[in-house]
Amino acid sequence: MKPVKAKGRKQKAEGRAIPSLLLSALCLLPFSLHAQTQIRPEISKEQATTIVRIAVPRPDGVPLELIETPFFAPMTRDLAASGVFAIAPIPPNLPPDANLAKAANAEYVLSLKFTQQEQDFVVAARLLDPTGVTQFGRGYRGIAASLPRMAHMLANDLVREMTGKPGIFLSQIAYASNRTGNWEIWLMDWDGSNQRQITNHRAMAILPRWASDNDRMVYTLFSGGRSEMYIINRRGGGRIHVQTGVGLNTSATFSPVSNDIAFVGSVAGNPDIYVIRDDSTNMRRLTTSYSIESTPEWSPNGRQISFTSGRSGTPQIYLMDAEGTNVQRLSFEGEWNDDATWSPSGEEVAYTSRVDGRFQIRIANVITKQSRIVAGEGSNEQPTWSPDGHWFAFQSNRSGRWQVYRMRTDGTELTQLTFDGENKDPDWSKKAE
Amino acid sequence: MIETMNKAVKSFFLALLLVGIVLAPACRSKKAPPPKLVPTTDTTASVPNVPTVATTTETQVSNPPDFVQPQPQPSVTVETLPNDVEELNRVAEQRGYLQDAFYSFDESTLTTDAQSALTSSATWLKKNSQYNLLIEGHCDERGTEQYNLALGDRRANSAKEYIVALGVDVSRIRTVSYGEERPFDSGHDEAAWAKNRRAHLVIVAK
Repeated sequence: MKPVKAKGRKQKAEGRAIPSLLLSALCLLPFSLHAQTQIRPEISKEQATTIVRIAVPRPDGVPLELIETPFFAPMTRDLAASGVFAIAPIPPNLPPDANLAKAANAEYVLSLKFTQQEQDFVVAARLLDPTGVTQFGRGYRGIAASLPRMAHMLANDLVREMTGKPGIFLSQIAYASNRTGNWEIWLMDWDGSNQRQITNHRAMAILPRWASDNDRMVYTLFSGGRSEMYIINRRGGGRIHVQTGVGLNTSATFSPVSNDIAFVGSVAGNPDIYVIRDDSTNMRRLTTSYSIESTPEWSPNGRQISFTSGRSGTPQIYLMDAEGTNVQRLSFEGEWNDDATWSPSGEEVAYTSRVDGRFQIRIANVITKQSRIVAGEGSNEQPTWSPDGHWFAFQSNRSGRWQVYRMRTDGTELTQLTFDGENKDPDWSKKAE
Repeated sequence: MIETMNKAVKSFFLALLLVGIVLAPACRSKKAPPPKLVPTTDTTASVPNVPTVATTTETQVSNPPDFVQPQPQPSVTVETLPNDVEELNRVAEQRGYLQDAFYSFDESTLTTDAQSALTSSATWLKKNSQYNLLIEGHCDERGTEQYNLALGDRRANSAKEYIVALGVDVSRIRTVSYGEERPFDSGHDEAAWAKNRRAHLVIVAK
């Protein structure tokens, strides 16, 4: 959904300039409010790296209970987690205007004015500095069910306003859950809300991996004593069986730059890394060692592939060029390493590393190969980076069952995201929005 | 003299037995037709009479279900195997026709125990060529999910190669790896892990 930018002084007209038919077709429609105000010409580098104190008074216009849970709470959670904003405590009994910024010792006040138009909620959001100048202004419109999405869109826009890069609050985490009695592919929002089932094989569907189009996922289906590769879109449609003609078909993962899928295939009990196009053509084998090779993952520019190999005697992380050449070993610590995934910058690789008999998440620099441990209690596996590289999701059995968690890459702000049944194999969508 | 005595004794017991035959069902079931009484007062009843009486009596008490002597179970043959594949697998496991191969941690090489289990299995498979075989590779939970899927594949194939080398047609055998996804024992100790590191043999219909 693309934001519609209104020009000139149209922002007063809000939705009126747009035919109501179009409005109802688009359940949610952001529009610009900042046209009449001065925009700061550029964002300084300092501003992008310092925390911005922001006062967020309660929205005006509709009873708070209508929008608290679906809009205000997720929006403030997003801002607090953004790494860009710090939410300033608000002194009591002050109106939500520019003066509040001074009183709260904040750089900005986020003014939110709600109106209800037929089925729709309309919110006008303005970011005011202490002098009353609007730094950012935009409207969002949608039905009640769209309020969480409107909240995430606003938070994304505010982050972009400060950093020049969008927030990650509309990104999605794919995972496998057995809460229906079978392992199926599920999706959830970045904060664990909006959990929904995507596949309904009633067999065992696991290991989903997003394509770079932010729409499709590839996964492995176990059915009828076979394991096969499938592609499905985020609405659960467009299912395609990728026919490889070899066994296993596990750990399938899309190239970030093409329609290629790297995966683990097996012929006569020799698991190796293969690549196939998503139309089941152009298959080639990248590794030829007799040892077990597993768990390929593309670097963000698509030029390298990390993988796990038992060639040294224990499972360790290796890197190779996307053609299978220039193999080098990345992990040297621990007797079992697996699940390597690249940071969005391509500078670091996070992987599962066995430490004192249980698994931890280790983050290693690709060039220096220096590494550090994050994660903590229980066994922790299958890290996946957020699109901005500030977070990762992973699975942990610290509660006694496998659940998906999220934490910052510095190991802070741990949050459990799933609770029903068992949940594993998280994969964070590749685009921020 | 001794022979005569023996005959007399035999006759006596035979007569007693017949009385038992006649009376036992009569006591249990009122619907049974009234049996003809066998002369019991004369224990020296002429021997030639006995078979006649016996024949008559047996005819009269035909098919009393409780009376039928238990037949000795015939030895199990291929023909007695259940048609249902799930039931067949249960029977094959119980009777040891198919035996799973067990592995050491992060290993896919066959131990001597695993080899003898597979040898027994191959023997049965060769005799029962009407069935195909699915070999499932399984791992314990101590590894990682993705690597274990590959390790399970290698285990399943090590068992397949061994069975094929013993003469089972390769076209009858298929493999799949479940890694650590479907443990046989959900415990978290070595006893459970040892059960979960295996190549599991499953009969499938052709």
